[in-house]
Amino acid sequence: MENMVNYNPSFAEEVFRDVDSGDEIKMCMNCGVCAGSCPLREHMDYPPRQIFSLIRAGKREEVLSSKSIMLCTSCYACVVKCPRDIPVMDVMHGLGHYALKQGYVPRKDTANFGKEFWNQVYKLGRIDEKDLPRRVFFAGGFIAGIKAMLNFMDIGLKLMLHRRMKLLPERKIKGVKSLQKMLDKAEGLGKGGAAA
Amino acid sequence: MKYFLYWGCSLEGTGANFLVSLKPACEALGMEFEEIEDWNCCGASVSYAGANDLAIKVLNARNLAIAEAEANYDIVAPCSSCYIQMIKVNHEIQEDPELLKQVNECLAEGGLSYKGGIKVRHIQDVLYNDVGVDKIKAKVSKPLNGLKVAGYVGCQSVRPYGEYDSVNRPVVQDRLLEALGAEAVPFPTKIRCCGSGIFLPEIDYCMGLVKDILEDALNHGAELISTVCPMCAMNLEMYQGRINEAYGTDFDVPIVYLTQLMAVAFGMDLKKDAALNYNVIPPEGILKAAIG
Amino acid sequence: MDKKTAIYICTGCGIGDALDIEQLKEEGTEDFSIDLTKDHPFLCAQEGVDLIKQDIEGEGVNTVIIAACSYRVNYDVFNFGQGVIVQRVNLREQVAWSQPPKEEDTQMLAEDNLRIGCSQAKNTELTEPFKAEEEYSKDILVVGGGLAGMTVALETAKAGYQAILVEKEDKLGGFLGKMKSTITMPYKELSDPGAEDLIKAIEEEPKVKVYTSSTVEKISGAPGLYTVDIKSNGNGASERVGAVVQATGWVPYDANKLGHLGYGKFKDVITNVEMEEMAAAGKITRPSDGSDVKNVLFIQCAGSRDPEHLPYCSSACCLVSMKQATYVKEQNAEAVNYVLYKDVRTVGQAEDFYRKAQEDGNIFIRGEAANVGEAGGKLFVEADDELLGERVKIEDLDLIVLAVGMVPASKPETAPKIKAPADAEDADEDGMMEVMPDSGFFANSALNLEYRQGPELPTLKYGFPDSHFICFPYETRRTGIYSAGCIRRPMETAKAIDDAVGAAMKAIQCTEATAEGKAVHPRAGDLSYPEIDMKRCTQCKRCTEECPFGMFNEDEEANPLPNPTRCRRCGICMGACPERIISFKNYSVGMIGNMIKSIHVPEEDEEKPRVVCLICENDALPALDMAGIKRMKWSPYVRFIPMRCLGSMNLVWIADSMSRGIDGILLLGCRHGDDYQCHFVKGSELAETRLSKVSETLDRLALESERVKFVEVGITDYDKIPVIINEFMETIEKVGPNPYKGW
Ligand SMILES: Cc1cc2nc3c(=O)[nH]c(=O)nc-3n(C[C@H](O)[C@H](O)[C@H](O)COP(=O)(O)OP(=O)(O)OC[C@H]3O[C@@H](n4cnc5c(N)ncnc54)[C@H](O)[C@@H]3O)c2cc1C
Ligand code: SF4
Ligand code: SF4
Ligand code: SF4
Ligand code: SF4
Ligand code: SF4
Repeated sequence: MENMVNYNPSFAEEVFRDVDSGDEIKMCMNCGVCAGSCPLREHMDYPPRQIFSLIRAGKREEVLSSKSIMLCTSCYACVVKCPRDIPVMDVMHGLGHYALKQGYVPRKDTANFGKEFWNQVYKLGRIDEKDLPRRVFFAGGFIAGIKAMLNFMDIGLKLMLHRRMKLLPERKIKGVKSLQKMLDKAEGLGKGGAAA
Repeated sequence: MKYFLYWGCSLEGTGANFLVSLKPACEALGMEFEEIEDWNCCGASVSYAGANDLAIKVLNARNLAIAEAEANYDIVAPCSSCYIQMIKVNHEIQEDPELLKQVNECLAEGGLSYKGGIKVRHIQDVLYNDVGVDKIKAKVSKPLNGLKVAGYVGCQSVRPYGEYDSVNRPVVQDRLLEALGAEAVPFPTKIRCCGSGIFLPEIDYCMGLVKDILEDALNHGAELISTVCPMCAMNLEMYQGRINEAYGTDFDVPIVYLTQLMAVAFGMDLKKDAALNYNVIPPEGILKAAIG
Repeated sequence: MDKKTAIYICTGCGIGDALDIEQLKEEGTEDFSIDLTKDHPFLCAQEGVDLIKQDIEGEGVNTVIIAACSYRVNYDVFNFGQGVIVQRVNLREQVAWSQPPKEEDTQMLAEDNLRIGCSQAKNTELTEPFKAEEEYSKDILVVGGGLAGMTVALETAKAGYQAILVEKEDKLGGFLGKMKSTITMPYKELSDPGAEDLIKAIEEEPKVKVYTSSTVEKISGAPGLYTVDIKSNGNGASERVGAVVQATGWVPYDANKLGHLGYGKFKDVITNVEMEEMAAAGKITRPSDGSDVKNVLFIQCAGSRDPEHLPYCSSACCLVSMKQATYVKEQNAEAVNYVLYKDVRTVGQAEDFYRKAQEDGNIFIRGEAANVGEAGGKLFVEADDELLGERVKIEDLDLIVLAVGMVPASKPETAPKIKAPADAEDADEDGMMEVMPDSGFFANSALNLEYRQGPELPTLKYGFPDSHFICFPYETRRTGIYSAGCIRRPMETAKAIDDAVGAAMKAIQCTEATAEGKAVHPRAGDLSYPEIDMKRCTQCKRCTEECPFGMFNEDEEANPLPNPTRCRRCGICMGACPERIISFKNYSVGMIGNMIKSIHVPEEDEEKPRVVCLICENDALPALDMAGIKRMKWSPYVRFIPMRCLGSMNLVWIADSMSRGIDGILLLGCRHGDDYQCHFVKGSELAETRLSKVSETLDRLALESERVKFVEVGITDYDKIPVIINEFMETIEKVGPNPYKGW
């Protein structure tokens, strides 16, 4: 009986309150259609439906460190299929964001990739398709970065040869300063929880 | 037929062949494009790692607000990710006045405001509904003569709203391919996800997705796969070698944009207009054979 | 009646192309005396109908044989009033549409069909409606004054009929009167149950006479003619009514049997009924010490959908728990409700309230309670959470509510026992065995019918009075007695109201039809009724026992005492009677026998077998028609004889057919068993039982048992009909020709 789960509604309340789209999962009726339609379900430790069950049961650790919440490819299959019209994808993104904010790293590479992506958007207003992978690869340390880079060299080269890599670095958009102000404001106004 | 063309970051880079072919092909059909002044990135789907939901909404609302102030054109977003990001924000704002208020509060920081009056359209949508299949057929001078093409729709170009096509059984791309004289082969995985924006960080998992799609298309007789999304094109084309290594397959199937096929069928220059030389797996041979 | 018979052959719809009409006129009628024979290219058109009318008026024709389409179509067109016998012969679905045109076998089939029709017409007498000596009553007795009963009474009154409402408690209302609030259409939020308004409406309605603190002591008689003895507050009263609706509702499943869920062990484990009563009385508190309630857990399907307890779903308790969770939150916004469920079954639009309950933040856990216990003055539940795949524990609970299901008020608390027959396997030490309470002898007292077959309505296996729930809701196995509300099946109030309206209309219909001597469904409007030649009755009791509707009572000498208004005209008694003394003016053992005899049986060397198919006209015959409409093909050697119910099949027909050289007999009837589709409940089953005795007959004639076959078919089985027929024909070919041919 030691490892029995004790139901505890406080985590569910936290999710409803602090996670973007978190309150939507109240309406989940556990049919499992989202899990059935998710392309990467077989690689997930808990498919979306089960994530919601875990939240209901109060399993905070399991949920926030589950790789599933960052394995979402944003394909919208679940959103289209959910009989209860729950924007499952938004909930997964909300949870991913919240988990990172709370200091969990459900999925290292995707987390780095997404964070870098946003950093560039924030800094330049645009994405630099060359620079982004580089930053992602080096996020794990220099040596590992070189290795990872070399790994994808072939693809980058091919793209470059076929004129599909911009050779000049991306320039900032003109209104980047005002964009940053807007985004800062949104970060303060929106949900998503404060950093732990 | 004037539109804002919001091509986004990838169409200047990895998706360059999309943009290069789209402009002449669409202009030949009477479409005119204008760029949104000083546009910013849509944030794509992975931004959630760095930003909360509202920030991503505001990011997109900025583009909408600038466009709205400039002119009353619909925005055409060829990249599915841009399209979905913008149309989603637009929908949510239009349905929720509270959200519109919040968004405007943020936009005000940069002296902008958005009323919610702009329409966001997919390139397939305008080709099918504004231009129409008949007009496209009339433009075809070098029909693709029954070339078997798998029209890969992917996910974000129709889901979740299904504004112009069925989310479960989309047909628009097939109809457009047929207008060009191609034979659109049916294949069940045409709306399966390719891994989209997280392909690179999750390559080990996502290769399997692409493998299934390629296999399915080929099993149904496709000689070529067409797409309307730079991420689909990138994931389907660039990793075929990796997939062959990992799964012992021998994929070598060209992935082309629908607009490239249009340029070809309209009899335009195969390089300058159709941008076929941008493709890493060359489609020229197959296409030249088809148009004879 | 002196018959003047005319035959009209329609040559439209492809009949003229398939047959030699002149030959048909000659060959098909030579055995009968027919006064006129005509044909017409479009008989159901005005011109065709006028042709017949002219002959009726001008020539005095009073028996019209129409050889055209199935009698299931155009019956309104070919209706010439009560004084004219109309006999239909099928040349379309069974001949022109299912057989190759202009072939000898097709022609022979048409000729036989015409002969069968001529024979039937010859044996048919004009019906005269039954008229009782006493005056008919059209008042409606309603037993049980809950929501269903009150609604029946009000609807009856609204339709202009007098209702008599008998309620055993001192107040009307049933369980509705005990609710705090109700959740019902459109399932958005709780509302007042409205029992008081209903009671007031009843009290103000002059056409409803209410007896409270009353029970029905005895109902004697038959539809249209019932006498009801009522015991009211210790006094007797008597009423005459035409029909009865039983709406005695439900009782909660006995929670004392749910000790494993903590009931009886912990004071703070209560049932949903106790919860409702507590809420209605004012405040929800912990029964153990009267303290406040914060954490509540509802255990769904408490005893329900469990073969050890109530095997079925009561369909309302999921909704009820959500309602009661709302009470808890209304009382204390901070309260937490857990709902432990197997499946959430909020039927139809009630799903909206499930959504609301989710929005309110109630926590739904899918799983089954494994253990209920107490720790530190609070309760806990351990459960197997199906979605987590783990054992979970929900602690700190103030109250546990068991969502118990509904048991029909008619079901006895303990299973009834009867003396076991000598060879019974499941007899106990005392030589008794349990029986399913499916006969009216065992159900709890409510109607006290003076019927030979028992004082209460027969019930199905869970104790609900039987009804054919798909085709004929509200019907029971007693003509003129209907059931409505939770006595019929567990249901919520919206459905109880639907039920009540339906049952009221059925009851009214019955009193009207009965007064005109007509049958109620499924032979609605039939004016024939069984007549018994009592001089030859041997008191064998077959008819009194086998009538599915309890038509016969019995005197001390076991003579059957008919109550014709209870009869549904199925003919099962006719099939049962070994003396063959029960008959209808237009349906009798002799008539069918003569119809079979009218079939021409070719000599053995012609190699044209003949099969008689006795076919139930409720489902199998429509399926056959449908097969014809779909232009399916089958053997031309089969001759179809429609049966009111296969239960009216008399074994003598089989013996007669066999001795005349018919090669095989195929019986097509309805499905029987638990999910029976027989329109007369037991007819097809009885037919099959009777058939088990046919082997004696066949043995006596030294014939193979394969020659007689019974097949169950549903109305949707039209595609199987040709297969069934052709397979049987293969069997017949294998066993070879009947050696009695030509004798
Ligand atoms: C706890 C609980 C809460 C519920 N809440 C809701 C709700 O919110 N919404 C909803 O739609 N449904 C609800 N239901 C279901 C609802 O109670 C039934 O649908 C309703 O009671 C059916 O009415 P009825 O007239 O068929 O039966 P009853 O209410 O049982 O009425 C039967 C009547 O017949 C009388 N009677 C019984 N035997 C005899 C006899 N021999 N002679 C004379 N009279 C007799 C009884 O005294 C009673 O008055 C609830 C059920 C439960 C268990
Ligand atoms: S949107 Fe994300 S969670 Fe939903 S099905 Fe696609 S990958 Fe799975
Ligand atoms: S599809 Fe919707 S309702 Fe079903 S389990 Fe997933 S989120 Fe819940
Ligand atoms: S209504 Fe719900 S609680 Fe009641 S028996 Fe059915 S499933 Fe169980
Ligand atoms: S068996 Fe049928 S026909 Fe005979 S009395 Fe009963 S209901 Fe009437
Ligand atoms: S079945 Fe016939 S013989 Fe037997 S009791 Fe009835 S009427 Fe008399």
